[in-house]
Amino acid sequence: MEPKNWVGKPLPRKEENRLLRGRGKFADDIKMREMLYLRFVRSPYAHARLLHLKLSSAEALSGVICTLSGREIEPLTQPFIEIGPEPCAKIRDYPLAIDKVRYQGEPVAAIVAESPQIADDAAELVEVEYDPLEPVLDAEQALSDGSILHESAGTNRVWNGIFEYGDLESAFRDAAYVVTIDRMHFHRFSSTPLENNVVIAQWDSKDDHLYYSCNNSFPSFAIQFLAAHLQLHIDKIRVQTADIGGSFGIKITNYPQMAVCALASKKAGGRPIKWVETRSEHMTSSAHGNERTFRDTRVALDKDGVITAISSRHIDDCGAYPRYEPLGCVIWSQVLPGVYRVKNLRIDFTQAVTNKCPVGPNRGYSRMQHLWFLERVTDICAHQLGIAPDQMRLRNYIRPEEFPYTTPNGCVYDSGNYPRMLALAKDLLDWDSWTKKRHEARSQGRWVGMGVGTTLDSGTNNFGQSQIVNPDAPFSGNSQGANCKLDIYGEVVVAVGSCPQGQGHETTAAQVVADVLNISPELVSVRTGFDTERNVHTGFSGTYASQFAVSGLSAVHGAAQKLRAEMRRLAAFVLKTNEDDVEFGAGPQGPELRAKSTGQAISYWGLANIVNVNSALLPPELHDITLNCRFVWRAPFKVPDKQKKFGNLTLTYAAQLHAAVVEIERDTFVPRILAYVAVDDCGMVINPPIVEGQVYGATAHGIGAALMENCVYDAAGNMLTSTFSDYTPITALNMPRIQYGHIETPSPHSYSGAKGMGEGGAAPLHTISAALQDALSGEGIVIADSFNNGDTLFRAIVGKQIYQAAHIVSLERRS
Amino acid sequence: MFPPAFNYHRAKSLKEAASMLAQAGQEAKLLAGGQSLIPLMKLRFASPKHLVDLNFIPRLSYIKKYKDELHFGALTRHSEIENSATAAAVPILHDCAAGIADVQIRNRGTLGGSLAEADPSGDWAVVLSTLETSLSCVGQKGERRIPLHDFITDAYTTVLAPDEVVREISVKIPPQGSGGAYLAFKRAAPVYPTASVAVQVTLEGDVCQEVAIRMGCVGLTPIRASQAEGVLRGASLGEKAIEIAAEAARSEADPQPDMRGSAEYKRMLVGVLMKRATYAAVRRARGERVDVSHLYA
Ligand SMILES: Cc1cc2nc3c(=O)[nH]c(=O)nc-3n(C[C@H](O)[C@H](O)[C@H](O)COP(=O)(O)OP(=O)(O)OC[C@H]3O[C@@H](n4cnc5c(N)ncnc54)[C@H](O)[C@@H]3O)c2cc1C
Repeated sequence: MEPKNWVGKPLPRKEENRLLRGRGKFADDIKMREMLYLRFVRSPYAHARLLHLKLSSAEALSGVICTLSGREIEPLTQPFIEIGPEPCAKIRDYPLAIDKVRYQGEPVAAIVAESPQIADDAAELVEVEYDPLEPVLDAEQALSDGSILHESAGTNRVWNGIFEYGDLESAFRDAAYVVTIDRMHFHRFSSTPLENNVVIAQWDSKDDHLYYSCNNSFPSFAIQFLAAHLQLHIDKIRVQTADIGGSFGIKITNYPQMAVCALASKKAGGRPIKWVETRSEHMTSSAHGNERTFRDTRVALDKDGVITAISSRHIDDCGAYPRYEPLGCVIWSQVLPGVYRVKNLRIDFTQAVTNKCPVGPNRGYSRMQHLWFLERVTDICAHQLGIAPDQMRLRNYIRPEEFPYTTPNGCVYDSGNYPRMLALAKDLLDWDSWTKKRHEARSQGRWVGMGVGTTLDSGTNNFGQSQIVNPDAPFSGNSQGANCKLDIYGEVVVAVGSCPQGQGHETTAAQVVADVLNISPELVSVRTGFDTERNVHTGFSGTYASQFAVSGLSAVHGAAQKLRAEMRRLAAFVLKTNEDDVEFGAGPQGPELRAKSTGQAISYWGLANIVNVNSALLPPELHDITLNCRFVWRAPFKVPDKQKKFGNLTLTYAAQLHAAVVEIERDTFVPRILAYVAVDDCGMVINPPIVEGQVYGATAHGIGAALMENCVYDAAGNMLTSTFSDYTPITALNMPRIQYGHIETPSPHSYSGAKGMGEGGAAPLHTISAALQDALSGEGIVIADSFNNGDTLFRAIVGKQIYQAAHIVSLERRS
Repeated sequence: MFPPAFNYHRAKSLKEAASMLAQAGQEAKLLAGGQSLIPLMKLRFASPKHLVDLNFIPRLSYIKKYKDELHFGALTRHSEIENSATAAAVPILHDCAAGIADVQIRNRGTLGGSLAEADPSGDWAVVLSTLETSLSCVGQKGERRIPLHDFITDAYTTVLAPDEVVREISVKIPPQGSGGAYLAFKRAAPVYPTASVAVQVTLEGDVCQEVAIRMGCVGLTPIRASQAEGVLRGASLGEKAIEIAAEAARSEADPQPDMRGSAEYKRMLVGVLMKRATYAAVRRARGERVDVSHLYA
């Protein structure tokens, strides 16, 4: 392997200059000739029959080109693919409601006009008659099927499966302690990317070619859904993305809006259509994160507090339409035992639809809910048994010498060292002195608590896990494509199938290529953004699920190595020497290949010249050289055992361990962070500031979710947090100082030892819950929800309405 | 989202503004800082057909002291009050101005607009109703002076006639030995408070001669905590009296649950804010310099 001159260095981001100066190119910056503007008319009701829709007044407004309704598109399209088997497969999901609306904000019609202003005016003229139905806002209540969202499915249950491993019966029989926890709840929140969803679509009727310029963050997935829905051959769909202002997974599921824009363009005679989502639309109707309830949890522990078995029932709320779901019903099992050695587990997992915004794979998707559950379980057991929470974790962590560690469901944790991370976090926090301070504070009647939270960021997933939710799903493995070439005049150009949203792909890709060719990263141009016509994508291309460092950069590395081999062969011919004699470097004229024996050299321009414009010089045996090399990297996965729900589901397991000290104000009950540490292990780091930035961002995200951000619906299903003023996303002003630390446990699966990362947003949820638990255990409180603000804690401590340990937790001692 | 089309009128004088309003009828709105009106128009919760812009009327933004009164032009921005040495004579005004939303909103939003909007969560009406405040309003028929306690009648409702414009807000400077403080509980900066309390006390020695307490966001208009005032008036302001008064204030609040918090929590906050504000007010009444800041979640 080539020496790492650039990989691992704190190189400033190549994209900084453009993005920080406001010179990025985002989807809304793009204007096309004769462009029209689309506006959705949305349901004010959470659950209602759509009795009547009158569009004529809107259509009559000058400047309105056309309208679309669910009834109109129904015969022109197929319902979207459902990933799940029946009953999920019977759900008929159209991008515009047909005879029913199922969440507040669901589109019932679209208006296309010459300007966005006209479209807005016309939307006011649409008359809709609704017959309100009983809204279902709680997943457990939904499962009683009292009021059914999708009559075609006949039930609100989307999916159910039992994940059972080991021998629970013996574990519970032999347990020294059994702890039960009645109910815990992971709240609904979302990511709030600065840039909302934007779609430009143009349906070219000459050849039924469909063009998109948009900010979807998993285009190769979207086009599969769109092609089936629009009954268009997938190769006729071109998707381009430019700069994207954040996605966090939320922009994976904007394909329904993409579909409407396409149909609108078709109806408008092929004129391009632009739709720009407003913030309130984003908050009510783009996608939220999954909400989950944990019921009837039983935990077996041995006499030392080592957890030997966990059994529980989990109910996931996916909102009104499954869309990317029920993939979340298996994705959590990538981290089935979390960071713990527990071998016997039984999780009865159910997902239900409710009259709320559909969910999307939000940062930390499905794993964070489960990891929060496991962290709560471990933490609550520690408090029940009187074991210090940090000691409890040490007793239960998978040990460093056990890696690669195979989990009870066959996942292989590539590498890690949780005790070392804990030691570092305690060191950075100054754990011992805080322990003393906490003691003093408590003697003064203050509520001060210390908490630890450990989360896993499993990256590069095996799409074969889709077969665990649906045995007929046609997906498995994972791959990514990249292209590396010497352009006609010798410029090094790299293209990848990812669509970065601030992750610095241009920089890290350039670092990788620079090492392979032994040149400076400045000489490497990276074509960023997705483009179906660039021929570098595979069916898994996009930016999601913590994988670029592994799948993306492995593809780039492979392509660069192919190019290097071709350059070496060509140079050996030109320089009349053998390949071993050729070295890569830079001369006075720039990058070149040199014959060590003669000192003769040829520049990149010289090589490109021979292949592209001076090809008569090339002998037939070198005709296969193109200096334009595509490489597809494939993850070493097998199809999991669908019956046993067993197999390796993800390739790399980055970890984040956070520790915090939190104080709850005695008079306002507001939790305040007094100290905060974030320790990260994502294997070998490719670019330290980029990783650190991801850690800060994810930490902010998680602290916001833990203390400020909650999607609130009232009893009628109105979303009460549809503006930033109401939702209060976290800002810099709300952030504590973060002490950052990291360790590196190399992954054996990537050429560089790097692991995917970026989804560590869960760690603060675990950590803050644990710190609150520590502060309030003396009050008979169990932190049973992931969202905690002053109001929650007031209702728990003073109102005694919630969180009462006596009602939620029980401990059985068997000795 | 875009507001529906409207006619824009730029008034050059208050008189002209009043006649523009009269001409345009019910469908007209004044535009001051636009920080309440524009968001409502953007969301199409308000769709006025005519906007009469006050921003080009000369001499409508000022802070002046005249005898024992402070006079504020209706178009005076929150940030101007925040940074005014003249207004600093009454520290509770700074407490209020400095805590409204964020810099951008304070730079645009006006005192007149805030009172005229009569938002149940707005800060100014709460604070100014603990002081002797009146509004001079100009209509086609001339000018009248309306005491603040008669001005706001309900949520988003004032006694202003359709052609009337607030010209000036006059605030009586409290006498020596009087001090006030305003505290709000906020979930984040650019957000209306969850609950707020303004307290103004006048001391003679340790005994409270006069007191005014108003609570914000826990009723349709600023609520007067009369019982709490009754507890403090004539009492020496020790911990016990303040505790009892806070309890009374809690029971006088009428909060509604919403995304900002449950009714019980808001009621509890009223007690906390009332206590903290009273302590600060008492110290100020004694002539101490006390800086206060809202409580942020
Ligand atoms: C995100 C956000 C957060 C905010 N947070 C707070 C907060 O924490 N506390 C707070 O108090 N406020 C808050 N505000 C509101 C802000 O203070 C506004 O500036 C204020 O409420 C209205 O003043 P304005 O000058 O902007 O009025 P405008 O929006 O221009 O007008 C409001 C109404 O008053 C009428 N009006 C305006 N001037 C006059 C006049 N001279 N005579 C008669 N009628 C008039 C208008 O016709 C209109 O109906 C917030 C606003 C935003 C956007």
